[in-house]
Amino acid sequence: MSVERHNAQEENVGAYLLSALTEIEERAFEKHLQDCPVCQDEVDRLRSAVDALPRSVEPATPPARLKTSLMATVRADAREATGEARRQGLARRLRDRVAGLNDALMGMRPGAAWVAASIVLLTGVLGGATGLYAISGGGTSDDDNRPQAVAAKVDKTRVPNGSGSLVLPADARDGAVLRVHGLPTLENDSVYQVWLKRKDEVISQSTFTVGEDGEGAAAVTDSLESADAVMITRERAPRAKAPTEASILRVRL
Amino acid sequence: MHLVQEGDPRAFELLYDRHGGPAFSLAYRMVGNRVTAEDISQEAFLSIWRSRARYQADRGSVRTWVLGIVHHRAIDALRRNLVHEKRRSSAEGIEERFEAKETTPGEAARREEARSVRTALEDLPDEQTRVIELAYFGGFSHSQIADMLEMPIGTVKGRMRLGLDKLRRSLAGVAA
Repeated sequence: MSVERHNAQEENVGAYLLSALTEIEERAFEKHLQDCPVCQDEVDRLRSAVDALPRSVEPATPPARLKTSLMATVRADAREATGEARRQGLARRLRDRVAGLNDALMGMRPGAAWVAASIVLLTGVLGGATGLYAISGGGTSDDDNRPQAVAAKVDKTRVPNGSGSLVLPADARDGAVLRVHGLPTLENDSVYQVWLKRKDEVISQSTFTVGEDGEGAAAVTDSLESADAVMITRERAPRAKAPTEASILRVRL
Repeated sequence: MHLVQEGDPRAFELLYDRHGGPAFSLAYRMVGNRVTAEDISQEAFLSIWRSRARYQADRGSVRTWVLGIVHHRAIDALRRNLVHEKRRSSAEGIEERFEAKETTPGEAARREEARSVRTALEDLPDEQTRVIELAYFGGFSHSQIADMLEMPIGTVKGRMRLGLDKLRRSLAGVAA
């Protein structure tokens, strides 16, 4: 590493810690940092000052709806992860059963093998069907509390690849989470906005953006009791007071 | 934090209860209006929940990790120009900053801590405080700051580094 290059990067230490470099400069500095113990020491030394800066801020109290909305999405995520883990467990058990059957059949006479295979497969299919039925929410044990999903109707003329569903908790008063797929990313000054329609009233719920994969999620924070629909429009950031276009996605309740 | 990393929503709720206030305060300080600060905090905490496995205790406290994510989100918003223009053209942020003060013991302690760090920051030479605040809270790049203050980029970078070093020493109780 040349002294000139080191000197040029060393003067960036403060700007780097304060996030004041451009993306290209930041990447170059981080690359330099990997091979430069002097700059690593300097970054470590000054980091405590930067970490203290947010502590200088006058405390402000966040609105209660921030936590409500956040936790609705987090709980829906956690439920989805649990459901996925169960589905994977069931698939693994079925695979193990079939693999076990293959091993057992290797040492049998043809007639006995056919009978044994039929019994084991029938057991497996029935067991699997029971498991899948429980996972899809059709069971009666702890499934009554499992969330249900209602598919959304999408305006395919404006969002041709869009789809979505509203994940409903057991209690409609808990709000819900709207999950979307295949929505286009919006310009920087625009967001997707979620609305709840109740009789003649349209109430803003939350805003969200989607990643490059078109996936997104947003919370419906108000109670769904006596609500007619949940819908999404595209609005100017940070949010609109009332919808400025017809909904691109709508879930009838 | 271990339970959060295992995906326990109740543990995450506790994490929000502990760090949600400082996170919202930082976002609000940077963008100057409550609605955008709320959106930034929501996005940041969802990102924290979804990337919870990436937290490494040996690289800093949970508070530092959370506030770092909020800071980056707020800078993204500022650089997308969502709020810079609004903040310049409206008195909304200023009006909102004069809302009623909280008086809980936790709030009082945070206000006291804020006051002492702010004093250390304000004790720096003005030109150093200014470049640090413009960069960290304003989300401006070194070249934007150089344009604004009509000084060479090298001077801005130098003042940032010098200011951080003095602040570090001041906070550590060593004479700068």
